[in-house]
Formats: sequence, structure tokens, C-alpha cells
Amino acid sequence: MREILYAGFGGQGVLTSGLVMAQVAVFKKQQATWIPSYGSAMRGGTANCTVKYGKDTIYNPAQEEPDVLLAMNGPSYTAFAPSVKPGGIIVINNDIIGDDIAVRDDITLYKVPCTTLAKEIGQPRGANIIMAAAVIKLLGDFSLDDGIHGMNDMFRKKGKEKFEAGNMKSFECGYNAV
Amino acid sequence: MGDMIKGNIAIAEAAVRAGVQLYAGYPITPSTEIMEYLSGRLPELGRSFIQAESEVSSINMVMGASACGFRSLTASSGPGISLKQECISCISDEELACVVINVVRYGNGLGTLYSSQCDYFRETRGGGNGDYRCIVLSPESIQEAVDLMAPAFDLAEKYRIVTIFMTEGALGQMMEPCDMPDFIEPKRHSWALNGTYSNKKIGIFDRDSMKEAEALNKKHELIKANEQRWESGQVEDADYVFVAFGLPGRSVKGAVKELREEGHKVGFIRPITTWPFPEKAFAEVNPNVKGFISVEANATGQLVDDVALTAKKVINERNVPVWCLPCVYGVPTLKFTKEGFGRIINGELKEVY
Amino acid sequence: MAKERIVPVMSDNPMSFCPGCGHGIVIRLITECLEELNQLDNIIFPIGVGCSSLLGGGLVADRIHCPHGRAASVATGMKRVTPETTIVAYQGDGDAYNIGISETLNAAYRNENITVVTINNSNFGMTGGQMSWTSMPKQKTTTSPKGRDCELTGQPFRFPEMVADQFNIAYSARGSVTSPKNVNKLKRYIKNGIQAQLNGEGYSVIEALSPCPTNWGLNALKAMERVEEELVPFYPLGVFKEREENKNA
Repeated sequence: MREILYAGFGGQGVLTSGLVMAQVAVFKKQQATWIPSYGSAMRGGTANCTVKYGKDTIYNPAQEEPDVLLAMNGPSYTAFAPSVKPGGIIVINNDIIGDDIAVRDDITLYKVPCTTLAKEIGQPRGANIIMAAAVIKLLGDFSLDDGIHGMNDMFRKKGKEKFEAGNMKSFECGYNAV
Repeated sequence: MGDMIKGNIAIAEAAVRAGVQLYAGYPITPSTEIMEYLSGRLPELGRSFIQAESEVSSINMVMGASACGFRSLTASSGPGISLKQECISCISDEELACVVINVVRYGNGLGTLYSSQCDYFRETRGGGNGDYRCIVLSPESIQEAVDLMAPAFDLAEKYRIVTIFMTEGALGQMMEPCDMPDFIEPKRHSWALNGTYSNKKIGIFDRDSMKEAEALNKKHELIKANEQRWESGQVEDADYVFVAFGLPGRSVKGAVKELREEGHKVGFIRPITTWPFPEKAFAEVNPNVKGFISVEANATGQLVDDVALTAKKVINERNVPVWCLPCVYGVPTLKFTKEGFGRIINGELKEVY
Repeated sequence: MAKERIVPVMSDNPMSFCPGCGHGIVIRLITECLEELNQLDNIIFPIGVGCSSLLGGGLVADRIHCPHGRAASVATGMKRVTPETTIVAYQGDGDAYNIGISETLNAAYRNENITVVTINNSNFGMTGGQMSWTSMPKQKTTTSPKGRDCELTGQPFRFPEMVADQFNIAYSARGSVTSPKNVNKLKRYIKNGIQAQLNGEGYSVIEALSPCPTNWGLNALKAMERVEEELVPFYPLGVFKEREENKNA
């Protein structure tokens, strides 16, 4: 079973990043859970969600010890980096998080300038999809095609297919960025 | 396998499919998505949705609809359910049937927004003034919640009792794949008020409380005998048996699996009905069990009392120790349960009973 | 020769109201109206807590005792699921205007298609004559033994006028039971209220000023006189929100 923690400012779209992950897993017939922080955290401040997926039963859907942390801002990195499993992965948004951070020596850090990349490909709102794709690539369980199909399936069900081309562009960009 | 769906939304849709004719409620985190969803969904089907001015008013609207023999529902969380207790007691007294969803959040008074199980005592003991019980269902997953919604109404109507659908903040807010049940069209109850006075009633001052008490006890005994629901595993040879419900119950199953793999003889009982408490599940437990351990999302330990009472009843020739691992709020991690177990078997944690 | 009024079977039962109380008259009027409107087989009464509870012992009709003050909310639930059934909430002033002011007011706010009949006897009757929000200035009650001090306890207030003025409702009126003429007028008000509901016009409220000889410490006749002399000047009789069809008539 895999556990991923997505964290950032409210509005950065981390809840959607996590949802894309969970939906891709479900699309590929795996078990998945998605659990957000909620309540006061919904109104400004920080947002985070934990996604778990795998072929076996998921017992505890809540955060335990993430294999991967996606940190979209500094406070999220500071708060959650210590909880990552030894040998795990941390992906940071290095458009916001600078180089002056303490890095654990038992994890692998990936820096993705997702805001810059999003602008470069003409998808200024696509940073969270870029990051979702980067995480999916790093976990190594799903191909680019699986990822895109799963994501498209999810947005179609939400009636948001008009953003499909843009989302695919962002996804590909993120998948190839790591 | 169904699509990913949020707990509160899935539960609301399941209620629609179970034939809910009226929902009345008041917004409160973490239950609000239920009413938001139904505010669009019920009118679509020609059914009633009312945003009431208060929690108090909303449950009274439910009482009115229920008295007329229709499936009616309200949902809230901790302090909101406190406000509803006056009417829940009246609905119980009138022997009407309805379902009340409590998406439990942590804390006394206004409390917090954290997911919790701290309302266990209130829900399983009746909750309002007087001397009655409600059937309490406590699902561990979105699928189980959805599958229990129609039975929640069936039970309420079968026994003319209130069913409390006790979920947790985390279950309401999380998403996982879920298959939706089919639509059913329930019949209007024969005992309903329909304007023709087809069911005779007596005045409140003509009631015979002694006779009513006898009938009430009979009803409670019948429910205890017939409606206990639980899931259990590996209790027959267990040295230690965990007892936990809802999301903690689900998490504990994971801890039991890992502890077994590490060579510990442990098992679990996960109550699905927290009232009636699944006493029958304890009959299957290894008579030489060394102890019971409740794992619960509250501060002081509540479920542990029922575990201890039942343990005493089932294994009466000796005093089986009962421990409690309260995680206060949230969902206890597998690690939490396993570490607690370690402290118990090392003699570092005192038993509660 | 005076015409004999046949009491509808629905209310032709002994009820345990005190001698000289006005409840019995109002109940009879409601059932007469239901009979005339062909609703005797199509009526549910959500009833309040207090002397109004005594209705439950004598009325041959579908009814339910609501939590104290909440009858308008219970009525709302009933009406929403069975819009074809006539719903009349029957409450006292303490029930509807004190503990239940929120529910009573909000049903009017929503213009719920129900009829609310309130018996205003200016005190809590069932519990032995305590001050209610409709008690008059200087009125002696068991909780205002020196007379109601409005500086401390607030002013009595006029619910039918309030909702007529503030909310989009169908019908609002106040009558009394002090004379055959007033009784006949009150009956007309009640009938209009129920008719408004039958037509789906929305919320109707009829307040009936009623004597409470037992708690006022007066005989039946003196209690009637008090209604006329003390209550009516502050609580005027009449219609405060007229139905559209009456306006055109």
C-alpha cells in the first residue's frame, strides 16, 4: 500500500492533486482512500489530504507515515517533512520553497518549479496537475497513459471535460519533469 | 467497484434511495454536505427539504413528517445533536420512527471540528430525558454506511424507534469507491396519522406508565436479542481481543493483522450496532483470553465500559482485565494501536477494569 | 327561538378545562369550522404543552403532543409530506410565544401553509399562573407577585400584528370568547384561517383572548370582564392581514 500526503496553501489545489492520484488508482482497479483536512482549514490557511492506494484492504485511511510528501509551500514542508517514511520521497514546489531548507538525508528530494512550468506551457492554473503527475511518475505504479485516462475519467464525471486538453498538457509536463 | 465519493454525499444519496421523503436540518461542520446535497436532490424528486431556523426546529419537522408515516431524516454533529435531544426523546415516547445522523466531532460544549467518537455514551444511552434507547449504527467505511442506510429505516420502523446513524467527521469528509444501492419505495406506515383518526390515542393524563414500562422493556429485549450486528476475527484463540467501532474499528483490524504476522495471538470485535451492544460476539471469544482492549477516539474511554460489562458477563469465573486506548480524536493509526498493545503486554499500562 | 348549535362529534367529549375557561369554546369553534369546510376526516392537530395539552384527552381526531413550543415546526413537517391534509397547531401563549417564539415566528417567516390557533390568557395556565410574555403591565402572577414590572421583564407583545406587519403571510386575526357576538366573529376568523390553508394561500394565525379564572383568582364572569376591560384595549380584536379574496369581496 502507498501513502501520499499532499499539502499546501488553500487554493493551490492540493486536494485535487490528491484526488487525481486516488482516481487513477481506482481507474486501475485498486483500492483507494482520500481524506482531507477540513473545517477551519478549509477557509484560508493550509490544506492537506492523505491518499492511500493499493491492491489490498486499506485499514486506516488517515495519515500514518507517508511514502511521499508533496509540499507546495514552506509551512507544509516544515510541518510534514519529519513525518515521511525513511527512504521516502519529498516533492517540493521550488517556485515558492527556496533552497535554504534543511533536507533529511534519509529521503529523496525532488524540486519541481510547477508554477513556472505551468506558465511555460500556457496552463497557469495547472500547477497542481503538474505536481499530481510528478508524484504518480515517482511512485512508479502507473504509466503516463493510465494517469491521463484516470484523470480524464474523473474530470468527465464532474462535467469538466472542457478543460481536458489543458489538463492533459499539464499532466504530461509534470510526468516528464521528474 | 463504484466511483470515488465523499462519505457525507454517499450517505445522503443512500438516504434518498432508501426513500427519505423529508429532510430538515441546520448547517454544522462536519455534517453540512449532507444537507447541501439534499437541498438540491430532494426537490428534484418532488420530496421535501427544509433548512430550518435551528436544530431544535429541524428535528421537530422530522417528528411531524414521521408522525405522518413518511421516512424522514435529519443530520448534525455533536452540539447540534444535543439540541435535538428534547425532540428525540419525544419521538421515542410517541414511538415514531426516524433516522438521525450524527457525524461526530470532538469535544465538550462547542467542541472542535476534529473527527471523533466522543458521543458514544450519549447516543447509546438514549440521549434525552427519560428512559429509552435508540438503535445506534456505526459504520466503518463509506460502503458500509451506504449499505446500512435502508436497514437504519427498516429497524426504526420495525420497532418504532429512533435510529441514530453514528458516523465520524473523518468518514463524512473522506472519499473512497462505493457502490450505490437501488432505489426503494417504502410504504407509508399503517400507524401513521392521516387525518382520519384511524389509530386511536389516549390523552397524556390517561396513560399507564407501568404498562408502558413493561412494553418498553419487552421491546428493548427483543432488539437486543435480534438486532446485534458486528464483525469479528480471530477471537477463538486470541490472548487479547481488541474492541473498536467505526473508523477506529477498521484501523484496529489492520493492527490485528500486523500483530498476528508478528506472532501475537490477537483478535478483534468491531460492533456495527453500538446499541444493542453485540454481546453475542463475546461468546465466541477464547475462554482463556488474557484481556480485552478498547480502542476509541475520545479522551476518557466510553466504549470500554460496555466491553467490561460484557466481558464480566461472558467470562464470569474470573476477572478478565480490560484496557482502553483512547486516541482522543482522529483515527488511531496502526502504530498507535500496536504501541499501546506493546505497553499492555509489558505491564506498562494499567487496566481500566 | 334561538338556533341550537350542534357540537361536532370530534369535540363532543368531556375535557378537563376549568370552569369559565375559554379553551372549550375555541375548540368547539375549530371543529365547527372543520365540519363546515368538510375537513373532519382530514385533520391533524399538533398540540402544545400546557392547558392546550388537555385537548389530547377529549378530541376525537388525529393529534400529537409536540415538545413545548415546537408545534409550528411539527406542523411544518406534517404539511410538507401531506400537503392535502389540514394541519391546525393548537397552542397557548406561553407555549407559542415564550418557549416557542422561534418556531412560531419562523413558520410565519416561511409562510408555511398551516393554521396556528393560539389561546392567549395572559399567563401560564397549566403550571399555576406564572407570568408570560403576554401578561399585562402590573399583572400579578405567581412569578410577578408584586405585579409585572415591564422595565425588567419587557412589554407584552402582539404576535398577530407583528407577523402581519413583517412577514408575507396569508391571514392574521385576533378574536375573543367574551360574548356571542365575539364568539361568532372568532369563528369567522378561524374559518378564514383554515380556508386560507385549504386554498394553499400560506400561513394563518388566529389568536383567541381567553379568560383564566382559576389563575386570575376571579369568578367566570369577572374573568370575562377582565378580558374586555384589560386585555382588549391592549390586544385589539380584528383582522390584521386580510386574505386576498376577502379584500376583493
